[in-house]
Amino acid sequence: MARLLEHDAKVLLAARGVPVPTGDAASTPAEAAAIARSLSGPVAVKALVPVGHRAKAGAVRRCADPVDAEKATEALLGQSIGGFTVDQVRVEAWLPATAEYYLAAFFNEVTADVIVLASCSGGIEIEPASASERLARITIPAPFAPLPAFRARELWKQAGAPSALLPTLAGVTQRALAAFFDLDALLLELNPLIVTDQQHVFAAGAVLAVDDAALVRQPGIAERVVHGLPWRPLTPREQAVERLNQEEPYRGSARYLELDGGDIGFLCGGGGASLLLFDALVRAGGKPANYAELGGNPTERKVAGLARVVLEKPGVRGLFVAHNVTNNTQIDVIARGVVAALQATGKLPPAFPVVAREVGLHDGVGRAIFEQAGVRWLGEDVSLDEAAALMVSLLHEAG
Amino acid sequence: MAVLFDRQTRLLVQGITGREGQMVTAHMLRYGTAVVAGVTPGRSGMAVAGVPVFDTVAEAVAATQPNAALISVPPLAVLDAVLEALTHGLRLLVVATERVPLHDAAHMLAVAREAGATLIGPNSVGLICPGERVKVGAIGGEYPERVFVPGSIGIISRSGGMTAELALMVKRAGFGVSTAVSVGGDACIGMPPAALLPQFMADPETTAIVLFGEPGTQFEEDVAAWYATVRPPKPVFALIAGRFTEQLPEGTPFGHAAAVIRAAQGRPSAKIAALRAAGVWAGDQLAELTEFLAHLRRPLLQLTEAEHA
Repeated sequence: MARLLEHDAKVLLAARGVPVPTGDAASTPAEAAAIARSLSGPVAVKALVPVGHRAKAGAVRRCADPVDAEKATEALLGQSIGGFTVDQVRVEAWLPATAEYYLAAFFNEVTADVIVLASCSGGIEIEPASASERLARITIPAPFAPLPAFRARELWKQAGAPSALLPTLAGVTQRALAAFFDLDALLLELNPLIVTDQQHVFAAGAVLAVDDAALVRQPGIAERVVHGLPWRPLTPREQAVERLNQEEPYRGSARYLELDGGDIGFLCGGGGASLLLFDALVRAGGKPANYAELGGNPTERKVAGLARVVLEKPGVRGLFVAHNVTNNTQIDVIARGVVAALQATGKLPPAFPVVAREVGLHDGVGRAIFEQAGVRWLGEDVSLDEAAALMVSLLHEAG
Repeated sequence: MAVLFDRQTRLLVQGITGREGQMVTAHMLRYGTAVVAGVTPGRSGMAVAGVPVFDTVAEAVAATQPNAALISVPPLAVLDAVLEALTHGLRLLVVATERVPLHDAAHMLAVAREAGATLIGPNSVGLICPGERVKVGAIGGEYPERVFVPGSIGIISRSGGMTAELALMVKRAGFGVSTAVSVGGDACIGMPPAALLPQFMADPETTAIVLFGEPGTQFEEDVAAWYATVRPPKPVFALIAGRFTEQLPEGTPFGHAAAVIRAAQGRPSAKIAALRAAGVWAGDQLAELTEFLAHLRRPLLQLTEAEHA
């Protein structure tokens, strides 16, 4: 799920007819003041970080004038909110609301359809739906078709919206859903969806996340997507692996997640085996320094690149290389890549223990390459769990 | 496995002229699968490993009468390929391609369901029946016999790679595989494990089933629910990986709806608990699988929670 910042979400939604308060993004207090000056009246200054509950974190400020906006921006820039550092804010018109509603659509993976939620009790206090809360809900089955106006009206009627507002709310809902399908979205939340005293509706808050796998067909979105984990941005090492992966996008895949501490470099694959192997290392008392997945049929360059990153993290005292028995991934390529990285970093057995449980295509050649470099190669008579336990005990001996 | 495919399966490969398509076709033919035609728009008249290539599924069906299709086309072309196959009467589809957009996956699963077709995948390494020497997909590579020996253990795996590793463990224990199915690594797949289990239970070749599960989805929970009500006669072992992911930070929910979604996240420990409560032998270690297989050699009628608790 690829998250977008609120500003980008609003730009995309506004282009598709969803009303949002007029505004723009600012990277400096001066820019913020300029935007505030161009809007008449009070403005909202909102920190642009890809996390929820920003209002509760004090990351949304109401500013009466441009001077206020400048000060608020200065205070917010550089702050850490939800693990992310604020380097931009959005400055937009603060519209007086007589009511705050809520509208959301999300792709339900369990049923492969889209759930739409609507409530007349929106705003920052909205919490997981309780039985008493009037949260209206409809399901849109695949194949996804535009939502008819009458269904949108029924949704808001069910939510308890005033009759006079039904046509307006229905229109906004239809356009929001059209945007959802157009953007390959997985999550769209408009909260608060405010109603002004003129009975106009605006999406004062917008949260948008889209399908990573669809970015190839979403020109303009890929650059706006925030690269990071839900709880923090990518580390420099993680960014290096992302770049490495992008350089040869059709030759296997390399994924790297840096962990706090740990002393075992983890270079494993495929996806399921990596999960199993990490569990096995931990169960044997080991402390992996990272999680990684090396999948498909990567080039030697990609293997060596990922291995180097794994090895270069401070504190790593050994390397664990393991895959499920492969039918497509070439073991000799993995061996060459790993050995190249060991040589480049100067981390060599026996002082730096390396275990490779690598069985499959060309493993005869792979074994020879590994063993020539002093790597402890393990074959099909050793299970993945046993290989992990061996790694932990080898490292313990070396320690 | 007679229900899904067998020696009589006549396979069409969509995307046959691609790098993956060509390699997989050659390996399937070598193993014994009857690959009767391929489709790549614009390449009519070519042949791949002796298999005739057509521009359209319609032509391929008219000329060679396939009854199953392996779809190995780029991610953005998968939905179209599935629709084309279904339109021309194909009712067993195996989608190998990974990174299919979720909206497309939802669309193709709905249409396949509507047509009464069996769709395996997307992101499936395929299926193999060693006893019949038939495989659909890349599963087992060029020499599947190294890892997949004929026998009576069914394998259903959410991880393509682990399908082979489990077959290897089964072989090491002195057993073999009846049918192994890689159901696909994605959250939206056509045949989740619970949908396949009844067919394995009805298969006379299969005496026990091994499942491989991961974090996310409700697939294993659904298996537990089914197992608890049906009380099937054949023992099941479920290996669930990824317990460590429960220790990773979650971050602040990205909006209220995200918190609703998070409620159905599918943690491995919850999966194992649900499976055990239903009477399925479930664990996170390969050593437990070895123990399960050892038990099969003993004259036990049925493995229950009490016996392996």
